[in-house]
Amino acid sequence: MNTVYKGEHLLPGHIGQFFVVLSFAAALLAAISYYFATTNTNKLDKSWLKMARAAFYINTLSILGLGTCLFYVIYNHYFEYHYAWAYTSRSLPVYYIIAGFWNGQEGGFLLWAFWQAVLGNILIRRSKSWEQPVMTILSLSQVVLASMLLGIEFLGQRIGSSPFLLLRNAVEGPIFSSPDYLSFIKDGQGMNPLLQNYWMVIHPPVLFLGLASVAIPFCYAIAGLWQKRYKEWVNPAIPYTLFAVMILGVGVIMGSLWAYESLNFGGFWAWDPVENASIFPWLTLVAGLHVLIVFKNTGHSYFTATVLILLSFIMVLYESFLARSGVLGETSVHAFTDLGMFGQLVGYMVIFLVLSVYFLVVRWKELPITKKDEETYSREFWMFVGAIFLSLSCFHLVLVTSIPVWNKMFGTKLAPPTDLVTHYNIIQASFAVVIAILMGFTQFLKYKKTDTTRFFITTILYLVFAALITALVVYVSGIYKLHFVFQLVMLAAIFSILINAKVLADAFKGKFKLTGSAVAHIGFGLMLVGALISAGTRKVVSTNDKGIGLANFTKAANERENIMIYKNEPMKMGPYVVTYLGDSVSEPNHYYKVNYKRFDDNGKLVEEFLLKPNVQINPQMGLTPSPDTKHYLFRDLYTHITALPPLRTKPVNETADAGHGQENDDQNYDEPVKHEIQVGDTIRYREGYIVLKGLNKKAQVQDIPLGVNDVAVGAQLEVFSHDKTYESEPVYMIKNGSVFDFARKVDDAGLKLRFSKILPDKGRVEITVYQQPENKKPWIVMSALEFPYINFLWSGTIIMVIGFLLSIFRRNKELKTT
Amino acid sequence: MKKSSILGLVTIAVAIAVIISLYANTSTYGSFKDARSTNGQLHVIGYLDKQKDLYYDAAKDANYFSFYMKDKKGEECKVVFAGTKPQDFERSEQIVLVGEMKGNEFQASYIQMKCPSKYTKDRIDVTEASAKKANL
Repeated sequence: MNTVYKGEHLLPGHIGQFFVVLSFAAALLAAISYYFATTNTNKLDKSWLKMARAAFYINTLSILGLGTCLFYVIYNHYFEYHYAWAYTSRSLPVYYIIAGFWNGQEGGFLLWAFWQAVLGNILIRRSKSWEQPVMTILSLSQVVLASMLLGIEFLGQRIGSSPFLLLRNAVEGPIFSSPDYLSFIKDGQGMNPLLQNYWMVIHPPVLFLGLASVAIPFCYAIAGLWQKRYKEWVNPAIPYTLFAVMILGVGVIMGSLWAYESLNFGGFWAWDPVENASIFPWLTLVAGLHVLIVFKNTGHSYFTATVLILLSFIMVLYESFLARSGVLGETSVHAFTDLGMFGQLVGYMVIFLVLSVYFLVVRWKELPITKKDEETYSREFWMFVGAIFLSLSCFHLVLVTSIPVWNKMFGTKLAPPTDLVTHYNIIQASFAVVIAILMGFTQFLKYKKTDTTRFFITTILYLVFAALITALVVYVSGIYKLHFVFQLVMLAAIFSILINAKVLADAFKGKFKLTGSAVAHIGFGLMLVGALISAGTRKVVSTNDKGIGLANFTKAANERENIMIYKNEPMKMGPYVVTYLGDSVSEPNHYYKVNYKRFDDNGKLVEEFLLKPNVQINPQMGLTPSPDTKHYLFRDLYTHITALPPLRTKPVNETADAGHGQENDDQNYDEPVKHEIQVGDTIRYREGYIVLKGLNKKAQVQDIPLGVNDVAVGAQLEVFSHDKTYESEPVYMIKNGSVFDFARKVDDAGLKLRFSKILPDKGRVEITVYQQPENKKPWIVMSALEFPYINFLWSGTIIMVIGFLLSIFRRNKELKTT
Repeated sequence: MKKSSILGLVTIAVAIAVIISLYANTSTYGSFKDARSTNGQLHVIGYLDKQKDLYYDAAKDANYFSFYMKDKKGEECKVVFAGTKPQDFERSEQIVLVGEMKGNEFQASYIQMKCPSKYTKDRIDVTEASAKKANL
């Protein structure tokens, strides 16, 4: 226990840990002071408010200090800290060191707390009379987040997990009994190669900003109930809600961009529990946003709006519980393992759930709930219906994703549906149909009351028009092969794009107010179209019908998408001819060069390009392949290494003298074949032919000087294999009366050639050809996939963001004028 | 009836439909024995039998991989998969299969493996550490 360890840098950890505790204490003080500032009846007394602000600023600064210390530790590779050791390594480039910062759970909480602090500072400046109650709630959330980082024993229970935990305290190991253990820890574990992607640098900060910003509408909703300012909170909350929906949406899509590019999950969306969880709050918040707007315009649906906004933040907490508590177990590949914070994560949820329920119950009788029914042909009614369906879609996701939670709660042993992806696709597509149709025709309705005849005529007109376009799209893209519900989604999405385009056109004529919503809806419609075509008509290019196969193998899993290609042997694959040209190594990545050629019907080369899929070899995590992609405007062609021969320890291109003494080496070849030939003769072999061009009487062999009576003759051979030519010169030598020969290898052609005899009486020489059997030649197994029209999904996202930005500006302007 | 009540009823109806569809769709975690008696796909959790050979020969068929797995009850069965051998399969600690029994073979349509080193990193390889010591 009293060992003095050599070489540790404990100071940054001590400072960091001090900031951890300070940030917690300051947040607690801020929450308490804001509470008293809110309840204080003396309006002139600003002392609580001043203290609260000061405490919140200290919280912000200590989070910055804490982050700086952690970065210092990681950047300087102080592997005595568990965090640095577990998530980074010396070879990691700086931008991935930044990603390593939020690779672990602690870093995630830190990032979350940081954004919440930033948003808190914005609220302090902007929220005016709302500051005290809103900041009370936000500070409370900040307290809970800070507690996640504490890592302090309290009443025998460890609270939180500190990023400054030392390796020797985190991990068991006999080496820690040695005082100079650090000299054995040369490097960290390094980052999971899957995460080494530039999207991992940018996606987590955006996602956490999204999660943090969902707290703001929540705080406003609670503040509204608490302060009995039931109607007022809606106006300032709308722009923040728009912001949260926008950022959270972007964060989620960035995650799916990463999944798409790394292709380790088969596409941009795999319905993994952690992915699903990330859209729970998005769905409820979008629903809440629409009902808030309904309430603002008509005074209807107050209760639903409040509940949805409150629920969204609870969903954020539930999401973080699912991802971090280890409850998902074997159902997710993304989830973290339990850091012993199960109870704390549940506690976070319970605190805010109880708070929400308490205020709703206590204020129930005073809530401005209208008794009057909405008009059937009014915008508010159908917006409300849309919100309900968004919530139902979320309900379904929660229900299925939480199967492990139900198992834990009720002791059941349910397994997710066997064909999970189809299950989600069909049910969620059904919701998407309803939502997209509502997104369309509701735009033709007005608040309060609408002229029905005109509404029906225009709606039907647009529906017919949309049906025509859909028929064309469905035919061209090949969607007609899918389940009919996907064709309905296409129809609904195109319908809503058309109507919103009409609204947008009108907006330019003067009703400028509606631009934001029209643009955002068009963006969402395009996302549906892109997601549908891309996922639905994904095509395997590398279909392989060779092999023993599995008779009547079940369903689509048997796409036979893996194809084996030998080095330098061109192979026809779909419309392409592919050739594996060779590999290059840039540690830790091994790149495999695959040449693609496409010919037209007349055999003319129309296209040629090189893709370099790579495989990363990491001692801790094994082999991790990453694909390389050829991007076209309307499709992406992926190439992915799926299997490799066992990696050689010797570099492939070593063609140096491989003497015939290496008997072992001969085992790598088929039975040698001897050929007696003259100059100019041709030897045929399986993959081409060899021509003896001439004999070189002055052959040299490295490091072997020749005496006066010694002879060395080289056979100048030219090897023709698969449109390529190689030269090789095996040597026959007589030295001090003994006979030697020096074989030469042509690895690219899979040959070893020996000049084994000179037959002067016949005027011929003997060349022995060693040929590698097929499976000893360098090969790769790859799969090539084509994803069409994915750009609709990405461009739809960008358009949606523009729509949200326009709406935020508009709602902000409204705030200033009222 | 008020429109809001109709909407409420529709909502509940859809919610119930969702629950039923899920209930009809959920499968169970079973054993190879269960797989023999079930018609259709199910989940089997087990461990790779590292004594027996994994078979994957890309030259013969790049989409055929077979191995032997012991389920949680200790029963062993040959498993075939129409694809390549997942990277680092030998190191897997636990395997989750989705698939069905065909004759004496379990045909997996989905394989998920847990590699302890990949996601939980709280282990220091002592042999590695002492090997480095020798280099000093």
